Amino acid sequence: MQTRAVYSSRRDAVRLAAWGCLTALGDAAGTCAALVRGERALRAVPVLGREGGDPVPLALLPDRALDETAPPSWLATVKSRFALVREPGWGGPRRPVFVTSSNFGVGCLYAHRRGGDPAFLPFGALPRCVEWLRRELGWGGNVAVCSHACVSAHLGLLQASRLIQAGLADEALVFSFDFVSPFVSGGFHALKILNADFPAPYQARAAGSIGLGDGSAFAVLTRDHGDFAILAQSLHNEMHHSTANRPDGAGFTACLAPVAEAADGRRLWLKGHGTGTIEAGRLEAGACVRLFPGAPLVGWKGSLGHTLGSCGLVELALAAEAMHAGRTPGTVGSVAPVVAETVAIESFANGGYDGVVCASNAFGGAHAAFLLSHA
Amino acid sequence: MLERFIQELRTDDPGAETPAVTRERLKGRFAPGTTRRMTLLGMLVGAVLGDVTLSGEETLVYASTFGEGRALEDYLASFPAASPTLFQTSVHPSGVQQGLIGRQRSVKELFPHAGGGQLVVQALLTAMLAPGPDAVLTGGEERGTWLMETGAVSDRTFAYAMRLSREPGPRPLGRLELTQEVSTGSLAHPAWFERLHGRQPFDGTAGDGWRLKLIWL
Repeated sequence: MQTRAVYSSRRDAVRLAAWGCLTALGDAAGTCAALVRGERALRAVPVLGREGGDPVPLALLPDRALDETAPPSWLATVKSRFALVREPGWGGPRRPVFVTSSNFGVGCLYAHRRGGDPAFLPFGALPRCVEWLRRELGWGGNVAVCSHACVSAHLGLLQASRLIQAGLADEALVFSFDFVSPFVSGGFHALKILNADFPAPYQARAAGSIGLGDGSAFAVLTRDHGDFAILAQSLHNEMHHSTANRPDGAGFTACLAPVAEAADGRRLWLKGHGTGTIEAGRLEAGACVRLFPGAPLVGWKGSLGHTLGSCGLVELALAAEAMHAGRTPGTVGSVAPVVAETVAIESFANGGYDGVVCASNAFGGAHAAFLLSHA
Repeated sequence: MLERFIQELRTDDPGAETPAVTRERLKGRFAPGTTRRMTLLGMLVGAVLGDVTLSGEETLVYASTFGEGRALEDYLASFPAASPTLFQTSVHPSGVQQGLIGRQRSVKELFPHAGGGQLVVQALLTAMLAPGPDAVLTGGEERGTWLMETGAVSDRTFAYAMRLSREPGPRPLGRLELTQEVSTGSLAHPAWFERLHGRQPFDGTAGDGWRLKLIWL
């Protein structure tokens, strides 16, 4: 059950040289500001798009429908907002790219299956989708693909960090994208956790629910420049149940304990996974209270929805933006009573804090967390 | 140069076996009642991984270009009444999780890789950069059916698992060397499997920027 932090000191840390994200509320700065204002991006949308079904909370990019297009309409937005990821040299021998996602182009496979249009096929298969993206964004061939459901982005960050620490890369680009389609909304709806109720992370209520959101993000990691440092990263995989955590919360503790140790007395705030499910929220908040006493805990999926495999990178960008701006958005969508007294419903000034712990979870009892601090 | 020694290796090439025959062959490897919802790839990977020493403390790397092709096909076909089980099962890296969940085997680090030409070299790189003395690399594919013509699922079935160590130990099976160089190319997942299954050496470009040597001892 033990795990450990990747780094034990600042000497081993990697720097965050650049970051960005794209959500239903805009870019990182725009999203962060909207969250501070308490805005909720989730809207009730038929779960199967044009084919109808129950209305469920989804946060889609402005002007993007749930039904996929060929080519996917989100690419133009990514290209226009993420100029840095299109700079020459990414994907070269010393500048690897890590692509992370849980969906890739699977929405196009769904569209092809339902309508029979072959125009969707170049984007549907995972290898073809990544190759299409590589060509569109102008990357070389040194591109790794990490896919571990909703902790995918964390794995890209960790492996990129290891290449830099080993001296095998000068800098690394981690890029993540997950755009909701009926494939994924239909799946979570079938699991009954995506329903008509809007999510309220960490709120003490009778039944839980989640929302889903479009999300894409990037981070540039380096050895020695950037305003922020990733001081610790930790993983743990319970393998207790495909869709549930161990009831004693041991998986949360196993992942977060090494990060708490690496924090070494720093004053922190916490960005939890906080999808809006009851049991996972209770277990996560409990572990946070035990391991980070008094640290305020926030979650942003009550506004943005769960951005799935990209949530770790989207929320890294938002955490960095919040630290840059000096104000941390609260847990939008939730009201008292909450499952732990440290859950922060309202936004707060973060100038007195040294850093933030960001955590994510996934199917199979997968846990991932990192500690982001001012460099 | 990164170097690791192969200490244990298991491979499974079902060849022309039908999925039903493969499932029947492997079902005794799992606890009674646990295989009903397992995929073919889940059973294959679970079986080979079950033959390799796994403490749970080492990094476990999983490589699959396509993952659960048949679950993906069946899930797509289940709409508009989407199947919750097939949805969960179709999500990467279900193939490696199924057997571990059945055995209730927690692992510290699980690194699932996917994708095309760079899959093998990136999975090897992840295993060779893992912080502990040992790492386990496992992978596989399962042959799909109606999605094969779209290139969205694999056209063959196989699985492998290998334990890698930093130190050679008394009886290593082989040695892996990964060197950074200016080159382009790839070592496809089925070709990599053939090298392992047939104990064939390899010396060449395994991915953009990386040269791989596989030497059997």
